[in-house]
Amino acid sequence: MSPVDPRFHQALDGDIAREGVPPEVRRAMERLDAAAALLAVVPTGASVEARVMAEIRRPVPSRARRLVRWLATPHAIRLRVRPAWSLALAAVAALLTLLSEGDIEPELGGQEGIAQFVGRFPGARSVHVVGSFNDWRAGTIPLEDRDHDGVWRGAVVLPVGAYEYMFVVDGERWVPDHLADRSVDDDFGRENSIVIVRAAGR
Amino acid sequence: MDVRGDPSDPEVVARVLGGDQEAFGLIIRRYEADLLRFAAGMLGSRDAAEDAVAESLVRAYRHLGGLNAPARLRTWLYRIVANRCKSHLARRPARELSLDEAPPVADPADTEASLERAEQVALVQRALAELSPEKREAFVLKHVEGLSYQEMAAVTGERIPTLKMRVHRAREALLQALEDA
Repeated sequence: MSPVDPRFHQALDGDIAREGVPPEVRRAMERLDAAAALLAVVPTGASVEARVMAEIRRPVPSRARRLVRWLATPHAIRLRVRPAWSLALAAVAALLTLLSEGDIEPELGGQEGIAQFVGRFPGARSVHVVGSFNDWRAGTIPLEDRDHDGVWRGAVVLPVGAYEYMFVVDGERWVPDHLADRSVDDDFGRENSIVIVRAAGR
Repeated sequence: MDVRGDPSDPEVVARVLGGDQEAFGLIIRRYEADLLRFAAGMLGSRDAAEDAVAESLVRAYRHLGGLNAPARLRTWLYRIVANRCKSHLARRPARELSLDEAPPVADPADTEASLERAEQVALVQRALAELSPEKREAFVLKHVEGLSYQEMAAVTGERIPTLKMRVHRAREALLQALEDA
């Protein structure tokens, strides 16, 4: 068949009846239909709903708020302060762990571990952690500040893996964990913290 | 409301714009399969298609207020995804995509027939990748998504004669590539 046989396109465009074209042209049409049919299959198991809804649920800070936050963040000092805070918070966490012998230890599967979340938010009324492990739904995993010293803590049993997360302070202010070992830019120009959960006992 | 009792696109759009954020999930569930298939045809990669559709839907949500005719939500979504795919291709042409990323991934449980089908899909994807993004877009919208030329014009912003010409050229090139294979 000549590729420019006008009946080929006319029939495919519905301008003339398919039955009226010569067999050679019809075979070419069938080859093209078969090729298109191969592509007309949705990738199995693919869904972006959870990912999109998670992003939508995250509030977009205004430019003014981002500017204020940037100005309020101790950029120059943070490098000096971070190790001290890390050590201090680690010490607090270790101390509280030792003191809380009465707490019930969760039973962990072989491929589970505990993710510890610690953040310093003096004056906060509530702090929650949201992340890829809970579909970025605010309000589901609260942190606690039992001794009212402004340090909020919480632990979550999760399957082994790496998770992105942020804190939600007072139900409206989304902030990354500046003490996190790692952070990553999400696809939408913001920064998420990373927690790596390793199997318990390792 | 349609005959099955599902809210119409304008109703869902109005709910989202009225503050019902979760209603956007209805839009996603209604159109994501079509959009993923379209993006996969454009990009030749399932992972890239998922990224493009996810980013497009977030963009659509944030600009939903700018949708002048909510009844045309479907073509508007196609347009956003099409633009996202073309931007992606401008940075990385489809022919440079690794075939390892292409859809026909077979696992050990696959039958011989499904493996053969996977090879055929790969062959068509390779042939599509040789087309320009505009011709590929025209072919996929017409023959995979089944859009009319009027709908394609709404998606692409091009005139119908231009789109017909692109579809015709794409058909001929694709047929030639399949015959050469």
